[in-house]
Amino acid sequence: MKKSSPSLVLLFLTTGLGVLFLTNISLGSVSIPIKEILRALFSDTGTASEILWQFRLPKALTCILAGSALATGGLLMQTLFRNPMAGPDVLGLTSGASLFVALLLMAGQYSGLAFIQGPWSVALAASLGGATVFILIIGIARYVQDNTALLIVGLMISAATSSVVSVLQFTSQANDLQTFMIWMLGSVGSTNWSEIIVLALIVVAGLAISMTMIKALNGMLLGESYAVSLGINIKQGRIIIVLITGMMVGAVTAFCGPIAFVGLAVPHLVRLILPTTNHKTLLPAVCLGGATLLLLCDILAQLPGSTQVLPLNAITSLIGAPIVIWMVIKAKRISV
Amino acid sequence: MSEQGNIALHTTNLHVGYKKGHQTQVLFEPLNIQLIQGELVCFMGSNGVGKTTLIKTLAGIYPPLGGSVTHQYPVAIVLTDKISGGLMTVRDLVTYGRYPHLNRWLTLQDQDHRLIDNALRLVHLQSIENKQLNQLSDGQLQMAMIAKALAQDTNMLLLDEPTAHLDLNNRVEIMNLLRTLAREEGKTILVATHELDLALQTADKIWLATQDQKIVEGMPEDLVLDGTFDRVFQLKGFDLKTGKIAHLPYRKIAVQLAGVGPEFLWTKNALERSGYEITSNASIKILVVIHQEGASFRIEAAGIQKEFSTLKELIAVLNNMEN
Repeated sequence: MKKSSPSLVLLFLTTGLGVLFLTNISLGSVSIPIKEILRALFSDTGTASEILWQFRLPKALTCILAGSALATGGLLMQTLFRNPMAGPDVLGLTSGASLFVALLLMAGQYSGLAFIQGPWSVALAASLGGATVFILIIGIARYVQDNTALLIVGLMISAATSSVVSVLQFTSQANDLQTFMIWMLGSVGSTNWSEIIVLALIVVAGLAISMTMIKALNGMLLGESYAVSLGINIKQGRIIIVLITGMMVGAVTAFCGPIAFVGLAVPHLVRLILPTTNHKTLLPAVCLGGATLLLLCDILAQLPGSTQVLPLNAITSLIGAPIVIWMVIKAKRISV
Repeated sequence: MSEQGNIALHTTNLHVGYKKGHQTQVLFEPLNIQLIQGELVCFMGSNGVGKTTLIKTLAGIYPPLGGSVTHQYPVAIVLTDKISGGLMTVRDLVTYGRYPHLNRWLTLQDQDHRLIDNALRLVHLQSIENKQLNQLSDGQLQMAMIAKALAQDTNMLLLDEPTAHLDLNNRVEIMNLLRTLAREEGKTILVATHELDLALQTADKIWLATQDQKIVEGMPEDLVLDGTFDRVFQLKGFDLKTGKIAHLPYRKIAVQLAGVGPEFLWTKNALERSGYEITSNASIKILVVIHQEGASFRIEAAGIQKEFSTLKELIAVLNNMEN
């Protein structure tokens, strides 16, 4: 494979992100030309400006934040577990969040979660669910030294919570079930500015901390013994990485629902155009790649018919799965 | 300073082993061993005796169960652990050796680049420094792992079976490289290995892990002659004192062999392997003749006097005489 220059790829991704961002905010049920968009960005009067500031910008920014957080989370998990199939959902974080949201929406009156009411209730339940699984995983990680074993524990937690969720779905009322199903489909269009600020703080903090961990992340690829011999504090690194992944993925799931595929696939797509294992270049590239991909998926979700918006999860999986399959077949193997 | 030279590493009542649940498994009796600077030591012993555990304990990866390890210098290691990152280039892998000296942003200084280049040069990998690890042969990958350890620029190297799964050529190259590093750069090197013949020919000293959980230390030749090797490995058909596989002269035919040089040795080898006994006086006489263009093999026996250019022909004629 020809070696692409990291700075060139980063430049390409940044340009792509900018173009898709402008395309994203100019598209929707009302089409606004780019010129009008640029004018509306710097004023707060007129219909265009209102549409932009009330609907389009929050959605596009949510795409960027969620995309970069999920993709980075995926890369961190793949490196931590040294397993190409790892993703943020694998640790059971998203299924923990789903379980709590399901308890809130479909069994609120019995589950004791009914006390969380109001606009932040779903976000709070999702965070609580993610955090619960996350604390459970950290607890288990103290006893299980092997990363593969930890991965299997995560998968088992996912399976267990999914089955509880399906029991809830089976027994709940049609209305509640519909609310839950819509949350499960994933959405970047329902966040308001105060939610975006919370999300941005968490995601930016997570990304910044992960950039300070490149030495530990690179070291993890060699395995624990080598990492220790190179003076890397691997135990501390593991905890920090699980912590920031849990934080970022938890926040995104809280506000946008469980968005599939981005965490698993983006790191592989990025390694396809930028074949490296150095997190110094991988992290920023994966972060940009995730944001770009989710913006693209969101554009595709609103294109057909122009008034109807497709569920985001349908798009991410529909584009993503074939790409990953094609990639695996082409490369004959897939590595971390 | 001891009488033998600078002590690079020593252990004091070191207990090596691991904890399994609440049970502690100690692999050796309390160890008081040392490595002298500039020496190449081969660490040998049967499979599962605990060589890897001891190496990892000496390197500070596993904590000792008791006692202590004292280093004079930092240590670089080469292990058998599988690494991830098939897309990593050789140079990226060697760069890991500089990690103990790099800041958290992994900024490389001139000195780092120089040590990386030097490490690549020592293992002859400069030409493929941009190749990805999943495109390397086993031997090249092992060389790259050694280069990583060399880039660490430590005075001490601990290697766990660096020649496993390699062909003879690569094995010899690695052992020669390690010997050169010990001699010329004064590095202290401990190699766990199963390569009995290579160890005997390259090591300054041997550590031999015995069945009764001790480590016997000595010059390779001393350990051969006093039978320690035979006891530990319970060698089956390998005669260590001659360095060859023991052959049974099953044909019960004696031949007399004369000649010099490698041609003589290989003729002897062929005869013994084919079941002939070589004595100083026999009715069948074989003479190795060296010419300008090579060697030929002359046989003199009752009624026969012939000369052959290959040993194959010679042995065929001998085999026929038996019938």
